Order: sequence, then C-alpha cells, then structure tokens
Amino acid sequence: MLRYAASRLLRAILTIWIAVTVTFFLLRLLPADPTLLVVEGDMTPEMQEALRSQYGLDKPLLQQYGLYLGQLVQGNLGVSFRQLVPVTDLLLSRLPWTLLLAGSAFVLTLLIGIPLGVYAAVGRGGAVDRSVQFFGITSNALFIPSVAILLLVVFGSNLGWFPIGQAIDPDTRGLAAYASLLHHLALPLFSLVLVQLGPYALTLRTNMAEVLGEDYITSARSRGLTPRRVVWRHALRNAVLPALMLMGLQLGTLIGGAVLTETVFAYPGVGRLIFESVQQLDFPVLQGAFVVLAVTVVLANLLTDLLSMVLNPRIRT
Amino acid sequence: MNGKITRVRATSAALVVAAMVAVTGCSLNEGGDTSEAGSGSGEQSAPATLRIGTTTDVENYNPLQSLSKTDSWILNATYPALLRIDRDAQKVPELAEEYTTEDGGSTVVFHLRDDFEWTDGTPVTANDVAFTAQAIMDYQLGNVAAKLTWVESIEVRDEQTVAFHLTEPYAPFAEGVGFWMRIVPEHIFSEAGDLSQFANDSDWVGAGAYILDSVTPGQRYTLKANENYPYAPEGGAAVETVEYVVYPDINTMILALRNGDIDLMGTPVPISAVASIESDENIAIESVESLGFAHLTYNVQHPVLADQAVRQALSMVVDTESIIATILQGDGQQMTGPISPIFAEYDNTELEPYPFDPAAARTLLEEAGYTDADGDGTFDDLTFEVVCDQSNANLTRVAEVVRDDAAEAGIQLDLACIERNTFLSRTRSGDYDIDLSQWGVFDNPMDQLRSTYLSSNPGGINYNLVQDPELDALVNDAATTDDHDAFVEKIKNIDAYVHDQALLTPLYVEDFRFAYRGDRFTGFDPSPSDLLGMVTGYSLSQVTTVD
Repeated sequence: MLRYAASRLLRAILTIWIAVTVTFFLLRLLPADPTLLVVEGDMTPEMQEALRSQYGLDKPLLQQYGLYLGQLVQGNLGVSFRQLVPVTDLLLSRLPWTLLLAGSAFVLTLLIGIPLGVYAAVGRGGAVDRSVQFFGITSNALFIPSVAILLLVVFGSNLGWFPIGQAIDPDTRGLAAYASLLHHLALPLFSLVLVQLGPYALTLRTNMAEVLGEDYITSARSRGLTPRRVVWRHALRNAVLPALMLMGLQLGTLIGGAVLTETVFAYPGVGRLIFESVQQLDFPVLQGAFVVLAVTVVLANLLTDLLSMVLNPRIRT
Repeated sequence: MNGKITRVRATSAALVVAAMVAVTGCSLNEGGDTSEAGSGSGEQSAPATLRIGTTTDVENYNPLQSLSKTDSWILNATYPALLRIDRDAQKVPELAEEYTTEDGGSTVVFHLRDDFEWTDGTPVTANDVAFTAQAIMDYQLGNVAAKLTWVESIEVRDEQTVAFHLTEPYAPFAEGVGFWMRIVPEHIFSEAGDLSQFANDSDWVGAGAYILDSVTPGQRYTLKANENYPYAPEGGAAVETVEYVVYPDINTMILALRNGDIDLMGTPVPISAVASIESDENIAIESVESLGFAHLTYNVQHPVLADQAVRQALSMVVDTESIIATILQGDGQQMTGPISPIFAEYDNTELEPYPFDPAAARTLLEEAGYTDADGDGTFDDLTFEVVCDQSNANLTRVAEVVRDDAAEAGIQLDLACIERNTFLSRTRSGDYDIDLSQWGVFDNPMDQLRSTYLSSNPGGINYNLVQDPELDALVNDAATTDDHDAFVEKIKNIDAYVHDQALLTPLYVEDFRFAYRGDRFTGFDPSPSDLLGMVTGYSLSQVTTVD
C-alpha cells in the first residue's frame, strides 16, 4: 500500500516537472518576441536589447531554464515582465476567484450530475434517461463563450436580473457584499456547470448501468432490499468512485472552461490572467499560472488515486 | 433514508460553497478598494462618477516605461505631459505654456506654467522635467528614449524653464518629447532606486487631471479628480471620480454600456456593432480621426518588389474608395502619399492617387518586361506573400479584396493573415514580401518619415527595408530645418517622393467611434486616435453631467 502511494507520489512529481519543462520551452519556441509588444514603433534595437536583458531573455536557453528551475524549487515563481511584481502575488490575488468559480462548479456538477446519472441508469429507456442523454450530447457540443454571451444578453441585458461582468459590487459591505458576490457568480457558474454537467451525467449513467447489471446487485435485490436502497446504498457506492475520479480527470477541462468563462464574464480569476498574459507574452506569469494549474490537476488526480486505494480493497493489497 | 441522504448532500454542498465564499471573502471589499459605500444615494447632487470600460488590466504603473495602450489611459491622466494634442492633431500647451528654439534649432526651451502642483503639495518645476528626461536616457526606458536621442545636455534655467541642448537641430523634437514624455515627481522617483525595476504600484503622487487612487486587481481602477489641475473648469471638474472597469470581451463591454454598468467605452466600437448601439437612445457616439493609417508596404529587399514599376502596378490594383465604402462603411478617409490628411499643413494635396485600374496595371507590367510564359493569366515572377494581423478584421477583409483585384492584373498574392504576435515578429524581422497593417499613432510627420524611411532605421519600423541615399538625404535635410515654411515644403517633397516610388500604398485613415451614455454625460473633448480618444485627463475634466 505504501509502495503504491509512493509510486503515485513520484509519478505526480514527475508529471509536474514535465509540465513545467514543456511550458518553459513551448513559450520560448513561440515565434513572437515579448520585447516587440510595445505600444508604438519607436524603439531602437539597443532599447529592445535592454528590455531583453531586463527580462533575462538574452541568456542561453538552458541557462534560463536552470535559473528558472532553481527559483521554482525555492517557491519563487519569478517577477512579471510587464507588471514588475512577483508572480506569486499576482496569482494569489486572482486565485480565490478561480477557486470560488471553478470549485463551486466542481461541487455543483457532482451534486446535480450524480442523481441525473443514477436516475437515467435506473430508468434506462425512459423519459428521464432520454432527456439526460439529449442534454448530455447537447451540452457536450456547447461552446462556452457562446453560452456565456447568450446568458449575458438574456439574463443580464434583456431581463436585467444579473450584473454584466465583474465579481462584486465595490460599494457593498458585510452581508450585502456576500450577496453581491453570489449575484455576480450566478451566470458564470451556471454557464460552466451547464457545459460540464452533460458529459459528466452521461458517463455516470454508463458506469451506473454497468454496476446495476452486476451479480451482487442482483443478489441484493433477491435479499428483498427496496430498489431505492439497492441503488443508492449498494450500487452508488461502487459507481461513485469512478464518478469522483472522472471529476478529477475533468479538472483540466474545468480549468480550460474557466479561462473562457472568466474572460467573457470579466471575472477576475487566474483564467483571465492567463488570457491577458498570453496577449502580452508575459512568460513568468504564464509559467507561474501553468505551474499552479498543473500542480492543482496533478494533486487532484493523486488524491483520487489515493482515495480509490483506500476505498478499493484490490489496490490496497 | 433518501431524504436523509439528500439533506446530508444539501448540507455538505452548502458548507463547501460557504467555505469557498469565505476563502474569497478574505478580499471582499474590506480592504484594497477605497470607494465609499452608498454612493448615488445622497439627496444632494452627488459628486459624479464616470465609469469607463477597459479591455485589460494595467500592466505597469511606471509611467516612464509603461508600454500598453490601456496603461497609457490611466497614467496619462495621472502624470502631466508638456504638451497635449487637440482634436485637429495640433500640439497645444499642457504643463508647458510654450516652447522656443535657440541656436538655429539646436536648443529647445520649454517654459512651464507655475500653477501645476504634485498631489503632495510640491510644485511641479523644471527640475522634474529634467529629472524625467535624464532618467529615461539613463535607463533607456520605453519609447520616449528614442525621442531623446539628440539630447546632449539638459539645463534647468529656473523653476519654470528647462532647455534641451541637442547634438544637431531636430525640427519636431519639442512636439515629440512634449507629447510623449510623462513628467514624474523627482522627489518621489529619485528615491526609488533602479527605475527600470520600479513598479510604482501604490501611493501615487501625480499632477494630471485625475490621480490614480486605488486598485482592485483584475477588476477596477479608481481615479480621483485633482483639485489643483489648472485646466479644470471653474469650480472644479464635474466628474470627481473616474473608474476604469475591466471587460476583456468587447461584446460584454457593449452590453455593460447598454445596461448602464459603464458610461463610456474606452476602446472604439467595432463597425459591426455601431448600428445596434446607435439605435439606443441613451447612448451617444463621438467620431474621432486616427493618428495612424492602414497601408500596404512593400519589402524592397525582395528582388522583384525592388522594381518601382511593380510597386506602382500593385498600387493600381487597390480599390481604396470601395474598401472605405464597404469594409469601413464610409468611416474613413482616403489618403495619397505617406502623410495623413489629419496633418493638413503637411499633406501634399497636389498628389494624385494611383488610379484603380487592374488592366492598366497589367499593361504597365508588360511594358516593364514581365511575361506570362504559360499563359495562365498570371505573370511568371509576380507571386508575393502578404502578411497581415488576423486580429484586425478590417484588414483581413482588405487582404481578400486586394488579392482578387491583383489577380486580374496578373499578380498572385498569397495571404498569410496570422496571429498578432507572430505577425509582429515577422514584420519586425523583414520576413515578408508585402505587409498589410495599420500604424497606430504618429503624432508628427517628421518623426514618422524618419522612423519609417531612414536607412539607419532609428525607430526599428522601416518595414520597407529601404536603403535609398536620396530619400535619406531628403529626410535628414528636413529634420534639421528650423524655418517652419521651408520645413513644411520639405515634408511635402518627401511625401511626393515616397508616393512616386510607391514604397507603400496608403489605404485609409480610419475614423474611430466612441460610445458613451449621452443620457448622463456630455462635453467630452476628444483627441484623435484610439490611444487617446475620449479618455485623456483633459477631456474627462471637461465633462459635465446631464440633468
């Protein structure tokens, strides 16, 4: 068991190192040059060189990589090219918003997705099942920015129920501030959940349907347990693990979705920071954000692995 | 049982969401943002807050090195410049009430107003100007360093007089430096150490019309009116607070304007959205000209494009009038030669544009000896790659129109409209045949001609890669001319020379449309270009509220 945990941990560290390395070299392979993204033309080659040296881009690539790794293991994500402030500070100022948005979307997707999947699997071929399948396929095809702008037009602009963009009304304090926070959160959260939910419910439906066909379910039924008890206590216990793992795997998609959602809804999270940093080719910020995201995804996967180890006796031995 | 599970699930969900809200709540409005609660609920006429939509966060608060457009909006309001530009692209006094030249133009003297004050009560003096220029030269900061290339020494004559001694006369020195250089407080910046590493991200001390006051990262930037700003109307500016609110998506920003969440879009309205915005009775639209222009520029290092006849033929396959009418929906002006008509005094109006005539272009090429051996309608050597920035929707459409018209003349154009960063990289390195792009801001014709055509390539934007001793001589001669009339004449001559050489095919000077809540505010004094538009500190200080 310990060996399993250790091997998973090692694999997680290796994955993070690969992600960091690939990000570093991919950014440097871009044909564009961050020192050229100035407001207007008048910049002599000498000034460009001065900027390049200020950004540390004049050093050989491997040396830059070594310096970067050295800083990284000390927990230093570097300093933003453009804003001249530590990347950690930038990320920390944005991270709570992304945690709130993506985290709530994660929880809501689980909470709504599990019953949807279960009911669809139990009543296979019925109205609920057909609706879930239809919804699953449709939601899988939705493109977040289109959904987001549609929601903004209908519920923000036409009906006026929700604010357009931003995360909170700056003039609110105390409880009103929390209310404003939720008010602003509603539309981005809804669009993210809408897009995540369908594929999730569909996969859960398939898992659940498989579990329901297994022998121990038949035997539970034959012992005279109520169908409800069979489904929710016995079947779900075995289906929920893959459901959790599935969410762990979907975390990457969720974060990708958050980038788009945050951009359209003007939500001040890490996703939007990435969008802005791509435009400005702010390498340190991009690297920092990718490291944080990679660590998040890898940790989530590690946790689901360890969780499944605890819950699944076959892995434990 | 099921009910119990549901309750447990609901409770845990509530707990999780509450925990997340609490995590975020650490930064909830309690710190960071200094806005007062309950604004707008007062019975008396509350001080006005004008909210402006911006597309990105501020990248850099250091006015000496900030390079982005949206930074400029906020920093230009906070830090004064010596001169500002008016609606007709004329330089007018700001911190400097006038400038004079001495020694045949090799000394430029700025005479400052005596009533500008930093927000900590220190007067703005010639020392601040000298310190700012020296710091920019010492650290080679931003794009102003190029404007100071000629400075040999700076002399502070008294509190209100500062003289720049130049290595040689440079005619537009005062205008360029006056307009682009934001003056910073010496007593603050001299304490900051290495100015290339100075973030200047708190406790701002400015002397512009509005001073940056507080920042909520990722969301908004609040500026307060400077009570001592000398150009504010009697009794102070009506807009006491300016808030920049970030909307990365332009469609979201338009919705926010329509809903009244913001009062002014800092960025121009896309042509495609103008009609829908115009129909909204609460929204007013102001149109301003551009200080840049769209153009096709030919890489004369290309062996075929080095031929003047080919460039002239290419100029004859561009139907500028129809491009303006259809793609810009009439929101632009045609131009001939490299000088924009916005600089009315310098524009050589005697120039005739190349006629749109693909058949005549074909004839011209045949006369120049080009052949079509395989008879496929395309000349054998006349295939060129056109690079353009795909984020500019107008230009990608122009590219298609020009390609189709060029084909009629037997010229094959292969389009490479590419991602902006890659596009910039390719144009900067000369890796293209024809460049289809739009210059951003040229505040004076001389700087423009020098940057774009001098073979020494001082501004790095000689996209033609032209190395023409005759053109060099014309540019250098004009640059050192102190006599104004002679200077204007020389600019016109360069205009004619470049036009005859067909180094570029100018396309249009775009008109930008800015949308604002006309039901709430009026009295803007906009400046040309999308860099300045409606959001200069001066313009904002002139705004009044609509009752």
